[in-house]
Amino acid sequence: MTVAIRATDLVKSYSQGVRALDGVTLEVNSGEVLVVMGPSGSGKSTLIRTFNGLETLDGGALDVLGVSLDATHGERQVLAIRKRVGMVFQQFNLFPHLSILDNITLAPIKVQQRAKASAEQRAMELLDQMGIREQAYKYPAQLSGGQQQRVAIARALALDPEVMLFDEPTSALDPERVKEVLDAMRQLAKGGMTMVVVTHELSFAREVADRVMFMDRGQVVETSDPETFFSNAREERSRRFLNQMQH
Amino acid sequence: MNRWLDRGITLLLLALLGWAGWSMLHWLLLGADWSVVTTNLPLYAVGSFPADQRWRPLLWMAALITLTLLTLVGPKHGWLRRWLPLFWIVMAPLGLWFLAGGLGLLPVGTRSWGGLTLTLLLTGGSGALALPLGILLALGRRSDLPVLRWSSAAYIELMRAVPLIAVLFFGQLLIPLFLPPGLEINRVLRALVAFALFAAAYIAEDVRGGLQAIPPTQREAAAVLGLSPRQSLQLVVLPQALRVALPSLTNQAVGLLQNTSLMAILGLVELLGISRSLLANPAFIGRYLEVYLWLAAVYWLACTAMALLARHLEVQLDPARSAS
Ligand SMILES: Nc1ncnc2c1ncn2[C@@H]1O[C@H](COP(=O)(O)OP(=O)(O)OP(=O)(O)O)[C@@H](O)[C@H]1O
Ligand SMILES: [Mg+2]
Repeated sequence: MTVAIRATDLVKSYSQGVRALDGVTLEVNSGEVLVVMGPSGSGKSTLIRTFNGLETLDGGALDVLGVSLDATHGERQVLAIRKRVGMVFQQFNLFPHLSILDNITLAPIKVQQRAKASAEQRAMELLDQMGIREQAYKYPAQLSGGQQQRVAIARALALDPEVMLFDEPTSALDPERVKEVLDAMRQLAKGGMTMVVVTHELSFAREVADRVMFMDRGQVVETSDPETFFSNAREERSRRFLNQMQH
Repeated sequence: MNRWLDRGITLLLLALLGWAGWSMLHWLLLGADWSVVTTNLPLYAVGSFPADQRWRPLLWMAALITLTLLTLVGPKHGWLRRWLPLFWIVMAPLGLWFLAGGLGLLPVGTRSWGGLTLTLLLTGGSGALALPLGILLALGRRSDLPVLRWSSAAYIELMRAVPLIAVLFFGQLLIPLFLPPGLEINRVLRALVAFALFAAAYIAEDVRGGLQAIPPTQREAAAVLGLSPRQSLQLVVLPQALRVALPSLTNQAVGLLQNTSLMAILGLVELLGISRSLLANPAFIGRYLEVYLWLAAVYWLACTAMALLARHLEVQLDPARSAS
């Protein structure tokens, strides 16, 4: 089994001396789904944002798909990694001035230099896969939140990434829209995509995750398979968190 | 009690309005002599351009009017609509070539340029120059390089602290000093450049406001897709920022048109310059009211056309407009 992401003792602190990451060590295997949970401010976003160079590190070693992204990495490594790692944000972050189709084809055309026709064909396939083919010529503001988030997933997939990062992809959605996005992610996981997912959706984690990692105050508290984590978590802090979540 | 006061005020205002309207009508019908306008229409249109070459400015203005109409009420789709932006871009250089001559056209000196043609050319030319310069200044002001940031800010603040008329005079005197000896650029071009340098500072501030309105998450989304900082700016941030800045940019454009009248002080015979020279002519002595009313009407028409074009652009660029 090959390792997609290997992080050793990651340290990141912001200006006020807060340690957002305080010695995080983890491995994500190819084809694996890792769900990251933890209370607000525990460093979940900071962690997955280091995986594609959106945050720089202050210490530790980070290897993503064979490229080193540690404290000394350069602009070239970051660009190389971003073409191979897709990311989906909580707030979708679609480009409001571009149609859905143009949102998805922008990077394939401008970054991968693909021909417009083939990029559009691939975009339509992805929209089909997400169940929103008929929205292709609309603009983001004309879509519901759930539809926008599925466009965002399609946009990330259009670069044929080897790893997908999700930062609370359903937290900004109405409850009745959450399922359509989670279903799309389930399908992706079934297809063997390597995924790191920050989420508070317990049922998704239980069903889809290969492993669940629990973080608190910038540290990894425990990493377990979902069954152990949800029924019989090793650490007291994890159990307290789960208790709060279920009420 | 109060009601009587209201009625009294209303009546008084009506009486005043009626009296003003009546005197105006009386003057228009009996007192006004429009010969100062009607006999000088060619002057108002093209200045003292040589009669046998007048077709050049006239053709250019006709093209401008056609383009305006095509943009506002022309076909909504098809090749013509797609080529419109390009046509607009070439209008200013085309006008300059048509007036100056060369490249197969008879050269005509700037002293013969004038009237509405010159007003429109000054507006369009300085606007076309000021917009890219203003965008660069706005980007410079937000740059990571301190030198670039400070010099952009200093330039913008300096230009905004100096009155336009001073910039115009400096332009006439200073621009020749910066040019290599032997290379001389004409008065109109000097005025146009000075005007653009001034307007760019204001445009930069409008564009900066637009840039600030775009959330940093847009840049992040672009970066995550592997777009370079430059692509992110070009394809994601700037198009949105300019859309936000468009209403204020329209204001700048209308201001630009009206401020071209200051060039009369530099001796350029654009619309106001022509009017002043006509009023100095003994044949039309005292015809101030006619001339300035006419002038007001022409400016109003041009400004309205510009406002309509800007409104049209705003609708075109609205991301939420119904997809078609
Ligand atoms: N740009 C920043 N500047 C300063 N401090 C920051 C910044 N971003 C995050 N932090 C701090 O770093 C810590 C970790 O933040 P992070 O956003 O990674 O948490 P999180 O687990 O994603 O929380 P949430 O569930 O609320 O999204 C927090 O204490 C936060 O206040
Ligand atoms: Mg977060």
